[in-house]
Amino acid sequence: MRRRRPSESVNIIVCVKQIPDPETPAASFKVDEAAKKVIPAQGIAPVVNPFDPQATEAALRLRDAAGEGKVTVISLGPDSARDAIKHALAMGADEGVLLNDPSFEGIDNFQTAVALAKAIQKIGAFDLILMGRSAADWDMGVVPAGVGQLLGVPVVTVAKAIERNGGAVKVDRVLDDGFQTVETPLPAVVSVSNEFGEPRYPQLRQIMLAAKKTVQVWGAADIGMAADELGASGRWLPLDALYVPKVESNVEIIEGETPEEKARNLAQKLRAAKLI
Amino acid sequence: MARDFAADILDPIAGEIVTNVGRWVDREVKPQASEFEHADVYPDPLVKGMSEMGLFGIKIPERYGGLDLSFECYAGVCMELARGWMSLAGIINTHVLVGYTISEYGTEEQRQKFLPRLVEPEIRCALTITEPDAGSDAQAIKTTARRDGDDYVINGQKMWVTNGQRAGVYLALTKTDPTAEPRHRGMSAFLVEPGIAGFSVGKKFDKLGYKGVETTELSFDDARVPASALLGGKEGSGFQHVMSGLEVGRINVAGRGVGLAQAAFDDAIRYAQVRVAFGRPIIEHQAQQIRLAEMATKIRAARLLTFDAARKKDSGVRSDLDAGMAKLFATEMCQEVVLDAMRIHGGVSYSKELPLERYYRDAPLMVIAEGTSDIQKIVIARALQREYPV
Repeated sequence: MRRRRPSESVNIIVCVKQIPDPETPAASFKVDEAAKKVIPAQGIAPVVNPFDPQATEAALRLRDAAGEGKVTVISLGPDSARDAIKHALAMGADEGVLLNDPSFEGIDNFQTAVALAKAIQKIGAFDLILMGRSAADWDMGVVPAGVGQLLGVPVVTVAKAIERNGGAVKVDRVLDDGFQTVETPLPAVVSVSNEFGEPRYPQLRQIMLAAKKTVQVWGAADIGMAADELGASGRWLPLDALYVPKVESNVEIIEGETPEEKARNLAQKLRAAKLI
Repeated sequence: MARDFAADILDPIAGEIVTNVGRWVDREVKPQASEFEHADVYPDPLVKGMSEMGLFGIKIPERYGGLDLSFECYAGVCMELARGWMSLAGIINTHVLVGYTISEYGTEEQRQKFLPRLVEPEIRCALTITEPDAGSDAQAIKTTARRDGDDYVINGQKMWVTNGQRAGVYLALTKTDPTAEPRHRGMSAFLVEPGIAGFSVGKKFDKLGYKGVETTELSFDDARVPASALLGGKEGSGFQHVMSGLEVGRINVAGRGVGLAQAAFDDAIRYAQVRVAFGRPIIEHQAQQIRLAEMATKIRAARLLTFDAARKKDSGVRSDLDAGMAKLFATEMCQEVVLDAMRIHGGVSYSKELPLERYYRDAPLMVIAEGTSDIQKIVIARALQREYPV
């Protein structure tokens, strides 16, 4: 485990993911049930997971508040995931690392957490690891906990505000019915929720600078992962089936002599269908 | 969701910039454009957002603190702004046009004085050519600038001044020699700063569309400016300088036509797939298929023509032919596509609840402004004559 460095300088690692655009029209969303894969929608570019720019925004604010430090962005994915890293660089992040290897194809959240943890160990000293609260494609939300467990550092999830306090961070968490404030020593993993607020739009100048930055590309061997740990065969969570549920609609006119009778009949039918 | 056309066509950095502007437009502009437009309110928060992204410095040279991006990139940005609200591309137009004219034709003193202030921007720009009795015939202007010692004294009226109330510098076309023949040899442009005696901003026009941004009259009544305000420091080149600047303006307006047409098309193709008539979505009716195909083809052609004109301007050569063709085709196309989008929507398009009525009111501005379609045809014909000598 890497310990926090003594200065006020802050080293933050942000994990971002490129996903199919969640606003892809239903008609364009297709699944290959035999291959258990989502078929990329024609003409609709993948996007950065919507929670991830908020994690980047949190990192940039903490770095800027410290006055010095570094924000390193990691993404695991295909070559196109470089765009997700470039977006974070255009927002103001300092360095980017793409984890790209054919053996990463089809891996699950646990394998992803292992790969990210190994990449973070390779990067070296860090104070804080930030991620979006979940990825909007699979929506498991377990990678932050997995990375924290593997690195042996505390994990705080669903943050709406993060404030650094010397060697610790105070985090306001979002609950179903309110908020919770916790404090944890650094280093730590924090997942960031949409309640954190709007991320900044990249400035044109930053986009130009980001384009000139080199994104390092690490394969499985670079982070010390063996083939048997990876691929679909190495999944901790084997995928049994992937399908789009059939949605059937039916219209039924509720009969009745009076409005009251119609309402009663409607209520009985809803109750019979266990909808109320 | 609109397809990301810019990324298909532009170089990676320009594509990334245009894509980011497009994201901003989708999130910040489209949801509130009609509200600003119907109230005819200047969109301060949106202009602030444009400023924070750095759009106002897009064409200012790097040595004066700007980004010095290509006209191709600028054209893409104009398309995206207009896809959200045409007026936003108008707000940036005169700023970029005047900044370009200063950087190309201004003295070093003028560049150093103004260009760094246009980046943030600390000041905004306006262009003043048109007068009550001179529009398409720009050489017929009556505003004069008479040398008087170390100063010039300007007298005259100007019309249709975009950014008229908010500009910190006005590029004003005048006649320093009203008797010169040909007439353009007696024309000179001045960089006029507001606040001087004899200079006043007149009424704000109530317009059919192009709302939010103010369009005003200007009046010069013995307005005295220092000789250092003469663009380039030399009399008689003003018409040429302003016409070169207008090539930039025509690329902007062509881009606006493409962006507005794209917005109308995006709405139309979405609606055509959900609106059912005669038992099936109307997109399955051949009449609508043909209409949508023609719309998309014309938009694509206008987009490529506009980028082609921008590339020509980037190469540093005269591009009146190319900018004229792009402006002519894109703006006429825009009017047709907007009306076609209304035909696809039917009666609901006539309601203020949808943005189509705004598109319909905004489209004609582009056919007229920055040189009417008829003027573009004359510009194109003259350029063709130059290219085909006998």
